[in-house]
Parts: sequence; C-alpha cells; structure tokens
Amino acid sequence: MNLRALNGMPPWAWSFLAAVLVLILTYGISGQGDGQTITLALTVAPYLVLVGLGQMLVMTAGPGNIDVSVAKVFSLGGLLSIAVAESTGSWLLGLGAACGVGLCMASISVIAILLVRIPPIVATLATSLIASAISLTLAQGFQGSAHPDLRAFLNWSPLGVPAFAVVVAAFTLAVSWILARTVWGAQLLAFGQARRAAQFAGIRATRILVVVYLVSGILAALAGALRASFSAPNVELGNDYLLDSIAVVVIGGTLMSGGRAVPLGVWGGALFFILLDGLLNLIGWSYAGQNILKGFLVLTVLFLANGAPLIAPSAASATRKQPLSPETEPDEAPHE
Amino acid sequence: MQTDLTHGAPVASARNVSKRYGATQALAAVSLDVFPGEVLGIVGHNGAGKSTLMRVLSGMERIDDGTLSICGRSDPDRHGYPGVRMSFQEGSLAAELCVFENVFLSSRQDIDAKRWRTMASRMVETRLTEIFPDHGIDPSDYVDDLTLSERQMVEIARASLSEDLALLILDEPTESLGGKDVETFYDYVRALCRSGKAIILVSHRLTEVLAVSDRIGVMKEGRIVSMHKARNESETSLLRAMGGEVLQETKRAGNAAATKEMRPIVLEVPMQTVEGAPTRITARKGEIVGLAGIAGQGQEQVLDRLWRRNRDVRIEGGLAYVPGDRQKSGILPIWSVARNLSISAMAGLSRFGVRQMAAETALVTDWVARLSVRGGAEAPITSLSGGNQQKVIVARAFCSDAETILLDDPFRGVDIHTKAELYQMIKAEAEAGRSIIWYSSENAEMQHCDRAYVLRRGLVAGELAGAEISDEHIIGLSFAEARESTT
Repeated sequence: MNLRALNGMPPWAWSFLAAVLVLILTYGISGQGDGQTITLALTVAPYLVLVGLGQMLVMTAGPGNIDVSVAKVFSLGGLLSIAVAESTGSWLLGLGAACGVGLCMASISVIAILLVRIPPIVATLATSLIASAISLTLAQGFQGSAHPDLRAFLNWSPLGVPAFAVVVAAFTLAVSWILARTVWGAQLLAFGQARRAAQFAGIRATRILVVVYLVSGILAALAGALRASFSAPNVELGNDYLLDSIAVVVIGGTLMSGGRAVPLGVWGGALFFILLDGLLNLIGWSYAGQNILKGFLVLTVLFLANGAPLIAPSAASATRKQPLSPETEPDEAPHE
Repeated sequence: MQTDLTHGAPVASARNVSKRYGATQALAAVSLDVFPGEVLGIVGHNGAGKSTLMRVLSGMERIDDGTLSICGRSDPDRHGYPGVRMSFQEGSLAAELCVFENVFLSSRQDIDAKRWRTMASRMVETRLTEIFPDHGIDPSDYVDDLTLSERQMVEIARASLSEDLALLILDEPTESLGGKDVETFYDYVRALCRSGKAIILVSHRLTEVLAVSDRIGVMKEGRIVSMHKARNESETSLLRAMGGEVLQETKRAGNAAATKEMRPIVLEVPMQTVEGAPTRITARKGEIVGLAGIAGQGQEQVLDRLWRRNRDVRIEGGLAYVPGDRQKSGILPIWSVARNLSISAMAGLSRFGVRQMAAETALVTDWVARLSVRGGAEAPITSLSGGNQQKVIVARAFCSDAETILLDDPFRGVDIHTKAELYQMIKAEAEAGRSIIWYSSENAEMQHCDRAYVLRRGLVAGELAGAEISDEHIIGLSFAEARESTT
C-alpha cells in the first residue's frame, strides 16, 4: 500500500471507492451492466443517508456520544406520519408529526444526558425503549397506507436519477456548509476533538450537545416517515438502521472519536452498504451472514482509523487516547 | 527533640543525588541523612525540589547521579524500598474502592489473604482511632464519599500501617486537616519517633514544622541549602534561610501605577484574609493582577469562580481563559495553527452565525506574524513545540474580544525566549486596556504584574504592589503564619 497516496486522499473517497468496487463485482457476477442497479441503490440510499447524517453529527461531538435510538425513532416516525397523513389527508402534516415526535424523543435523550448526566449510550437506549413502546401501541390494528402523492414523488426517477436522492444530496451539501462555514459548525468540531480545550476556548457544551441530539432525532423520524411512505409502515422498519447508520458514518471517514465530520462520506458509505446488500443477496448469503460481515467491516475501518496516526504522525495520536469504539467509557460522557 | 542525632546509623542517606527532567534540574547534588528516632522537616517554595526528593527517597523515582542507601539498599524493587512508606497530599487512594480495600492494596504482605476483609478493616480502624480519636470513618466507606480531610486521614493511617516501617514520609499531611486532628496527629508522629522510626515531614506550615521537627532542611533550586536545629530557629530565621522576607506594613508604597488607580474596577471577587476579615480581589481596566503563593492554595479556585461567573463575583465584559495544561485542555489536536487560533474570536467576527473567512484570515495572519509561530498558519498544531503551542493558546485568548483574560499558570515548561515574548505581549495587551488575572507558581513571573495577591489556604495572605512584588515578599507571605497564629 502506498502510504503517501493514502494520506493525500480525501477521507470520503474511500467509501465511494468501495462502492464502485462492489458495483463492479455485482456486474461481474450477474453478467449484466445496466443502470438499474445504480438507480435502485440511489432510491434506497437517501433514507440511510438522512439517519447517517444525524448520527454523524452526534458522533462528531466527541468520545461517548452516540445515538442508539435512531432505529426505534425511525419506526415510530413512519407509523405516526402515516397515521396522521391518513386521518388529515395531508402528507405534509404527516411529515410534520414525524419531525415533532423525533424532537420529543430526542428531548428525552437530551434531558437524560445533560440534566441527569446519564451516559449517552444508556440515555438513548432508554429513549429507544420508549419509542418502541409507543410504536407497538400505535401499530395495534394499524391499517394505514402512504399518501399517493408522496409515494409517487419518492418513486420518481427522471433519467434514472431519483428526485428524492437529489433533494437529500442538496441537504448533505447544506450540512457540509454548516460544518465548514458557520460558527456553530466550527464549535462542534472543536468540541468533539478536545472537550476541555473547547470549553476553555469559550464553547458551551449544552449549545453543541442539545443541537446534535435533537437533529439526529428529527432526521431519524423524518427518514422513517419517508421510508414508510415509500413502502409500508411497520414496527420493525427501522431495525437495520442502527448498525447501518453507525457503520456508514465510520466507513465514510468521520472520526468516531469526534472532531472530524465527513458528510459526503455518508453517501459513499450508504451506497457501499446498499450495493453490498444486493451483492450478498445475489450470491445467496443469509441475513445473519450479511450482518456479521457488516460488523467486521466496521471493526476493520475502526482498526485502520486507529492506525492512521502511524501513517500521518501529525494527526495527533498522542493527545487522543480514547478508544475508537462504540463502547467508549461512559466516564467521558457529557457532564455539563 | 530529646534524641541525640549523631547516634546510630542513618535509615536513609543520599550522597550527591541529582535528577533532571528535560531542561529542569529538579535535584542538584543533594546529600542528606535521616536517622532513626528523629523528625526531619523539609521546607522550601514551589519548585524547590521537595517532592522530587521525597519520590526519590521512597523509590518512586530513579536518580540520574549520586548514591542512595535506604534501609540498607541502594536500589528500590518493584514496590519501592522496603520499610519506607509515604503519605501523599492527595489522590493516591483509589476513589472507587472502599477504605479497607485501599489498605489491602498497599499492605498485602501484612494481611492474611483468607480473612483480608476483616483484617484490613480492623487494622485501619485501630490505626485511625489511634491517630484521630474522633475520625468517624467506617472502613467500608467508599473513598469517593469521604471528605478531603477524611481522605487525608486514611492516607496517613494507611502509610503508617506497614509492619517493618522504618521511614515514614509525610507530604503536606495537615493541609486539609482541622485543628484538633492536627494536634492528635502530631502527638502520634512524636510517639512514632520515640519508638525509633524516622520521619520526614514536608510542609509549608512553618509553625508546625518548627514544633515537631528535630532538624529542618531548607531546599531551594534543587538543593538543600541549609540544615537547622529546630530548637535554635524561629519562623523569621527559617524564612530568611528560604530567601523570604516579611513585609513591613509601613513599607507599603503608594507609588505603583498611579495612573492605573484612576481607571474603573472591572472585576471583583469577594475573599477573606488570613485574619478572617472580608476583602476583595479586584482588577482595574488595563491592570495586570497576579495570584501568587504556594501552588494549590486557592489560586485556581479564584480563576474558576471568575470563569464560571459565580454569583458572588462581579465581572464587566467578556472573559477568555488560558489553561495551564495545554495538552489536555489547550490545543485542538486535529486542527492547524490557524484554526486553533481563531476559534475563540470566530463568534465575534461572524455575521448571523456565518463565519467571515476574510476577517478570520486577516486576524490569523496578523497574529502568526506577531508571534512568529514556526511553520506558519497552516502547520498542524501538534507539529509545533510546546512553547509554540502555548503561544497559539495564549494568542487565541488575546485575539478574542474578551476584556478580561484569565491566565492559569500557562508558562510552565515554556522556554525562556518564548516566555519573554509572551510577557511582552501580555504587557502590550494590558496597555491596550485589557485586564489580566494571572496565576503563576513562579514568583519571578509575578514581577510583571501591577499588583499581586498572595494566597494561603484559599485566603488572601497579603497584597503586593509594584516594586513590592518580589520573590522575598511572596515567600514571606506564603509561609508567614506568625500573624494568624498570634490572633
């Protein structure tokens, strides 16, 4: 491996490279190379990207910050938006209701993390249980289906490019801009790489943490609402989105230890994962086997990310002793 | 006291022991004998080398040069020297464990493995009652739940629990103990001493050292500069030996910075003097105010009260903080010099929360040139030397729009050349109308201040102005207990 070249590549490039590799493999095995595979991937990827962007912001806030409630909030957002849209006849109100419930669920996490000072992984797990309970209650005798207008839009692909993917791509660019060009974005990155230093530089912990968790909750619920409109609402609709959202963020080049966010990489990661799903289905892997492979992929990326300071000594390994693992010690959890 | 010190072979003896940390000569050819049955007091100001010497004698630190003979050994084993125990000022107990577990950890060889819970509990209970009759500590209490003074008691009891104890080192043992406990503690020390143990007492409480010790060694700049018989000395003579001078109240000069006296007071922190009278720490616009004294005597708490804007303090305008520990609380390790510099100023330059890149670049270019940071604005912060990193951290505070800058001993370990540049910068910024609150453990630095408060036990021991701010006066106020003990 040419280490120098590796150092010079933008962090998001790896995930796209991996996606292209899987695409080529898929073409090779299936023996057909039409644009259908790409269109399909671009149709399904935006939901994962939305959840991933929220997860990315949370993880960027530093060691210990993670939102494990995204899967259940996703399902809840789906069920509620369909129910509201059905009873009011307005899909817009349905999406609004989803955003609202996402905000409520995330508020529970925020209160638990900042006021009760529970480690984020436990706090968001608790939120997850609450969301799951509400979903199950809602789902009893649930007979709803998506608003036809919204469903039509989500399935609309002029020239093989899904319109919804374009909207989410624009949103991704907006997130990139916020991180690079706003004071809050810069403060989030500073806070994530060195919490104490950032606080001494005048950055307030609450201002960062409240926003990232609320945004993550809203995005998860909104993605769930859209996904439910695309297919059908279901209590288990979001289940895959927990591991996947963490994985695509990490594979996309975002540092799990915080301080570096790569929004574009979330797209690369999401496309890679969706194409990989397709490839594994093609060669007949079971669902369990797929999950095992995904788990190992995340570990591999984390292992490489840990080794990165060896390649670039300037990347400050000495000061970042936190392990790059999702089970980061809760004692690093927010205390302000 | 009553023992004749020339009798018997020393428990510990050091000959020409030297120890260096990087550029700092912590110990310079120290020679010392400690005899059984004596209490040896060690006094000295910040950075005199007391702690290093104690760590060397307890076997926690290897020496660079010289010879040691401690309890008949010249090299420590994995557990240090057998027979030598040390009680630390703070933080050596495992906070998540309870008291008897901590005792077991350090006295495993004296405790039967099968009944260790009851044995360790009984041992520590007995010893605690012996030293501090009304301690109120249960051996099954978690260290976490103990108060500072209770932890100190456990620390002392634990250190004295060794069966083969020959030399007990006590590092600032009475720092957080109350009046009655101090008395019973020293009674115990005297009893230990009568039973033939050697004791080293490191403390800056001169009255206590004078009352308990047989001999007193004065340390300065990594050396033992003089050794005194305690009964021949007084506080004043010891102070003089340390290089201190007691400030004469009549000497107070009103000459210092007369022009600055006219400016408005921008900051007030209510405090107490060592005599118990209420007082305030104040700063005027454009003034450099020092917080001096022995490290850990409440200077950081003053900064903390200001930074958190406690309800009892009054501050006008914005604040910026320059932390002392740049690795842990200073640098943003992923970023470049430029981004590290501009993070605090960014909000002030922004428009509706959007960064103004041109303004930021101009600011960064200006400061990088002013401080001549090696490598320029785009160099990764971690590629810089410690001194250059510190320049960036200081500049970060100064390029914000804060009117008051808090300095938390930020120049430790910074080379002399860089220090001189930074002092210049601080003075220039004060001239420009900023107020500086500067805590430093180095007395020499305080001479750059317009006024300095000397703190002791979290109380204001005295206020110095202008030319009064000198090493001698700071040492004098840091140690002098005469006034408070006579009241």
